[in-house]
Amino acid sequence: MTLTHLWTISLLLAALALSIMTGLIVARVIAGQRQRHVQAQRGKLLPLLLGSASDEELTELRRSGPDILGSLVTELIELVRGDERAQFVATATRAGVTSALRRQLASGSTQSRAVAAEVLGNFPDELCTAALEEALDDRDARVRLTSALSLASSDRSPPPRLLVERLGLGIHEHSMLIVTLLSEIARQRPDEVRALIEGDDVPAPVRAAAIEALSNSGDYSLVGVISRLTLAAGDHSPELPRYLRALGAFQHPAALRAIRLHLASPTWWVRAAAAEAAGRIGLAETNLELRQLLDDNDWWVRFRAGEALTRLGESGRTLLAEASRCGTVRAQAAARLTLAEQALAA
Amino acid sequence: MTQAFEWQPWAFTLATATAWIVIATGLLQIAFYLVQLVYAAIGLAKRPQVVRSSVLWRRYADQAPPIAVLAPAFNEEVTIVESINSLLALHYPEFEVIVINDGSKDGTLQRLIDHFGVARVDRFHELTVAHQPIRGIYANPRLPRLLVVDKENGGKSDALNAGINVARAPLFCSIDADSLLESDALLRTVRPFVDEPDKMVAVGGTIRLANGSRIASGRVENVRLPRNFLALVQIVEYLRAFLMARLALSQMQALTVISGAFGLFRRRLALEVGGYSHNTVGEDMELVIKLHRYMRDHKRPYRIEFIPDPVCWTEAPEDLAVLGRQRARWQRGTLETFSKHKDMLFNPCYGRIGFIGFGQVLVVDVLGPLVEVAGYVLVPLLWAIGLLSIEYLLAFLAITFTFGVFISVATLILEEVELRRFPHARDLAVLTLVSVAENFGYRQLSNFWRLRGLWQYLRKQKGWGQMTRKGFQTA
Repeated sequence: MTLTHLWTISLLLAALALSIMTGLIVARVIAGQRQRHVQAQRGKLLPLLLGSASDEELTELRRSGPDILGSLVTELIELVRGDERAQFVATATRAGVTSALRRQLASGSTQSRAVAAEVLGNFPDELCTAALEEALDDRDARVRLTSALSLASSDRSPPPRLLVERLGLGIHEHSMLIVTLLSEIARQRPDEVRALIEGDDVPAPVRAAAIEALSNSGDYSLVGVISRLTLAAGDHSPELPRYLRALGAFQHPAALRAIRLHLASPTWWVRAAAAEAAGRIGLAETNLELRQLLDDNDWWVRFRAGEALTRLGESGRTLLAEASRCGTVRAQAAARLTLAEQALAA
Repeated sequence: MTQAFEWQPWAFTLATATAWIVIATGLLQIAFYLVQLVYAAIGLAKRPQVVRSSVLWRRYADQAPPIAVLAPAFNEEVTIVESINSLLALHYPEFEVIVINDGSKDGTLQRLIDHFGVARVDRFHELTVAHQPIRGIYANPRLPRLLVVDKENGGKSDALNAGINVARAPLFCSIDADSLLESDALLRTVRPFVDEPDKMVAVGGTIRLANGSRIASGRVENVRLPRNFLALVQIVEYLRAFLMARLALSQMQALTVISGAFGLFRRRLALEVGGYSHNTVGEDMELVIKLHRYMRDHKRPYRIEFIPDPVCWTEAPEDLAVLGRQRARWQRGTLETFSKHKDMLFNPCYGRIGFIGFGQVLVVDVLGPLVEVAGYVLVPLLWAIGLLSIEYLLAFLAITFTFGVFISVATLILEEVELRRFPHARDLAVLTLVSVAENFGYRQLSNFWRLRGLWQYLRKQKGWGQMTRKGFQTA
């Protein structure tokens, strides 16, 4: 290639780009004119979708074209609630929206597949369920997870064990939305989620997510299970703070041993989580350990220890007041500022 | 009859070598841009669906970690109340707005006290990163999301460091005093942190220019193009910077900068790398480089991402002098960071950030302006005096003008095909013309400003210089 070619290529590329851009501008002008027609169509379709459409009106809905109808349903479905929503879903189904969405889920672009997976969660019929179940094996992780969430939010989820395998939860998929997914399933089928906590072959992040999903369930029999897991976990286990926070959420004193052990952890984020849990449960037995943590090397541990002591009631506040007068400068500052922040006199 | 002057062979060799240096550097830059265009197209095609705020809220609100929004303020008496009201109205489950009054000489603090009814409080906070002393912390129990930190003046990075120390949320969002955030900006930007909680370190979002748009109550209500040519050119520049360069570098996991106007960071890691550096005007870039260095040094898997969703609006200078100062300062900041971390360049220990990220900075930011300006002077001159053939001149014109037109228009094509954020066909036509026109005059001026930045860097000039802010045109 000679230098002259460089000039020729650059001219060709610039001309090509300008031609494409001109084409896009023309397309936009045409689309702008079509947009007015689309807006008018949408204005006519909206009351039909929101009301109980007659057969004639349904025919008109179908005739409007799947694109306009599909986009209208996608936009509106999040905005309607209660009976209106049920009516909306029924009319949209009769108008054939779901078949268009199912096609979109099977063969659209990644983005449109994800949108279809999101919207189909609102349509409870068997064909939609089957389409969403199929999408659990989609080539894109986001579409797989969205499909699982859609199924779970409408109580149609496959067993969580199966989801762990098909979506590679905890192995390839680490999203915090796993907690949302398991929480949705646990609303109806808590035992299946609990089985994930007790299963030996379940990836640790999934187990931690299952624990978080059940931490507000009030099932105190879980405290022993989580405590055992907490005691067995290594000092640097990334799941340990999640276990400790769940123990704090249960607010059950049976967690004492596990929490006390980890108040002395060599890892700062484990000590901080243990201190937070001790405060939430109100474990007065740990007050001396917490007082010691007021002089921890890590600010976050000192903060959590001070916060926990204020939650322990009179005994904790007394210890804080003592620490604010005597002890290291660091512990004094932690105690004094904690008391001041909580508007408690030293 | 006069005899034509005959050059010695060595003069031809020297002229040819000079031309080749200019052409090769230009070609290298174009190669970078072409690769970036491809990666940006892939990134846009793969990006998460742009969903409504209500869907985002339903999906992400439960798992979205708390965020501290750090808003440094220096002499912002006139606009501070509106800015903070706009921040307090953000749509996010759990966040706090920390306003850091960086020793303002006007009545910024008093305006905050009077309007929000904040009073002095005690707050237990970290002292991990260095900054000028905090004079007081102010809060109002009726506005639990607002905290005002009053400190002695130390500059933007110093104010942000104070904010990082005082914040308690696991993530912090640093913004400029003149940033206007989309109401769901935090919800959109937090997505990568929710999707990859173990690896995500920092996320940047697209900054758009609000010049010409209609603004009311701290929100951009109607997107319109500005009438000012400089502002129009900067819209094209921002498209290239955000839509092409940053998105592509993020795809390659070699992103070297997250704009100071809007960035979301993991607070703990920012503390571990020492927060923002004080001795540079490129503190936003430097923080990102420090995070790369720290994570690579500790062999920890991580990601630093950029999302193409528009999350923040800012005001572009519409005056040549102000724009020139801004560009010189940006160049100086880049050079300061490059120089401070030059050991990362082509260092295998830093993988793609050393080769791609720093390689791009070397070619595009360090050598690019210098060689191109030299080319403007030398190549036409050497051709005019007969030392270079016309092929060299055409090749130089290709790399400086026609390839420039191609890259700018191609970015605009990408925008239109994937995002369609400009509402009218007329806007596209105007921007297409601007994409062509900017290569004839503005590009050369921009390179001159960057050389001025280089000169300031070599003279070890510090500080931000005079900051002139026009303010948003509100409805």
